Amino acid sequence: MIPTILMAAPVANDWITLDFVSLGQNFWSATFDGLTFGSIYALVALGYTLVYGVLNLINFAHSEVFIMGCYAVFFTLSFLGFGPSAPNLGIGQIVVNLLLALLAAIVASALTAFLLERLAYKPLRKRNAPRLVFLITAIGASFTIQYLIFLWRGPVPEQALTMFQTKPIFEVFGTIIYSDQILIVTAAVIMMVVTERFISKSRTGRGIRAVAQDPDTATLMGVNKEKIIITTFVIGGILAGAAALFYVMKIPSGVVYNGGFILGIKAFAAAVLGGIGNVRGALLGGLLLGLIGNYGQILLGNSQWTDVVAFLVLVLVLLFRPEGILGTSLGRSKA
Amino acid sequence: MTLLELDDVSVYYGRIQAIHNMSFTVEEGEIVSLIGANGAGKTTTMKTISGLLNPTTGTIKFMGEDITKMKAHIRVVQGISQAPEGRGIFPAMTVLENLDMGTFGRKDRSGVGEDLERVFDLFPRLKERVKQYGGTMSGGEQQMLAIGRALMSRPKLLLLDEPSMGLAPQFIRQIFKIITEINSQGTTVLLVEQNANQALARAHRGFVLETGEITHSGTGKELLANPAIKEAYLGVG
Ligand SMILES: Nc1ncnc2c1ncn2[C@@H]1O[C@H](COP(=O)(O)OP(=O)(O)O)[C@@H](O)[C@H]1O
Ligand SMILES: [Mg+2]
Repeated sequence: MIPTILMAAPVANDWITLDFVSLGQNFWSATFDGLTFGSIYALVALGYTLVYGVLNLINFAHSEVFIMGCYAVFFTLSFLGFGPSAPNLGIGQIVVNLLLALLAAIVASALTAFLLERLAYKPLRKRNAPRLVFLITAIGASFTIQYLIFLWRGPVPEQALTMFQTKPIFEVFGTIIYSDQILIVTAAVIMMVVTERFISKSRTGRGIRAVAQDPDTATLMGVNKEKIIITTFVIGGILAGAAALFYVMKIPSGVVYNGGFILGIKAFAAAVLGGIGNVRGALLGGLLLGLIGNYGQILLGNSQWTDVVAFLVLVLVLLFRPEGILGTSLGRSKA
Repeated sequence: MTLLELDDVSVYYGRIQAIHNMSFTVEEGEIVSLIGANGAGKTTTMKTISGLLNPTTGTIKFMGEDITKMKAHIRVVQGISQAPEGRGIFPAMTVLENLDMGTFGRKDRSGVGEDLERVFDLFPRLKERVKQYGGTMSGGEQQMLAIGRALMSRPKLLLLDEPSMGLAPQFIRQIFKIITEINSQGTTVLLVEQNANQALARAHRGFVLETGEITHSGTGKELLANPAIKEAYLGVG
């Protein structure tokens, strides 16, 4: 007996078609939008990568660190009077409002990351818990935060807010580039470069790299490992908070209790693609994943396939380069 | 003056006791060698002194102060520096960055340049290789780097955990010679070794460790002359 779902499935000749004509026509707009989303993935990916570097832990709850930032953006902008249609404000006022939202998001995400490390992971370290226990705790923390938000806000996404009317800025290859794309890519790249410089040059950054390479020896050098760990979580939170502002800018309807889940998985995939533990790898992986997703979507004519394509590429890359494109050392990410 | 004093120290890994009621002292200016076979508890002793492990009972005093509960990263600042077993070189940092890590806890940045020169005088090879990545150095070079890095915190007490391990004979002789030189420049050294011959010949005093207990103690010469030790550790009998 054949299950009805299979009988009903339209296994027609248009099940998968490769639409190269559309891809050719929309190549550059897909590229620019892919880079925009890729920048957001990359910012979140850094949080996974940094924590993995110092703790060898995949912090699954980082997606919730991110979504808390999205809520902070939503509440701040609602409070400031933003609504579904573009605000009738001058550019200076919009910038000030967005900076306030950014600040709120950074505080919310960094605070979530801080509490997560203090309440969930640090007690496990004190007990010398095995790796698997950390992993299960990370997953449990992710669900816990999601359900807490669910209890508070319910299942329906928050009202979509428009931050500003996106404006065409200039044209490249016959494709218009919009203000939000420029803003997001520029801000994200600046934040990532600053992060990279910080990790490779500052005293704290040297401490982070030392703990990532050999925690016991780092301690023997006078590095306070616990301080480095909490700092790393907070840096990841700050970057996730910034990503949250950009994400809500692009996907205003995305503020919902489980809204971090898919983005978190993609950012994690981006980190693995570039080489988990590697700061530059997170940037490269994020941008690549953004591009691949967008090309795949147009090629297959169906957004449902975007994620499948992205993960297919991820698996293929890992088959040939198990350490990711740039390798997995946080230390090696330096200049 | 007594620099380091262990009094009745016991250390456990879970339920397994690795160190049994150990007591000994290290006086300022000495080289003290702790000799023992594989698994005797030498590394455990070192980690307990540097603070990576906590004793279940007993006290550790450094310059008269009880440091039993002091965190490991603070002990470095107080003047205890360790070149760990296996060298612990940061593989993805250059030689210079590795040396710089040794100054991480230092408050007096002004003295760093002077100490770097001193390390380069002791180990000219390191000066030639400042830009090389630690992970790409040979075992002997890594050992030099580990000792040099430990000196960069300008320690009062230098802990060396099997510096001769895995090294070619000419490197071993060179390393021991340099240890003596470091000591003559004023740094107290606690040396842990399986290579008993050289370690005892260079030491003012020594202890023999067997399954977590000190079984013999004396001057380096006395221990070298002891027939039981000769048989067990010096490959003659
Ligand atoms: N992390 C550990 N967990 C459990 N037992 C350990 C651990 N490290 C060392 N031991 C045990 O403690 C004893 C002393 O080890 P160690 O101090 O490393 O000896 P040595 O340095 O003299 O070779 C050995 O029996 C060893 O198996
Ligand atoms: Mg040992």
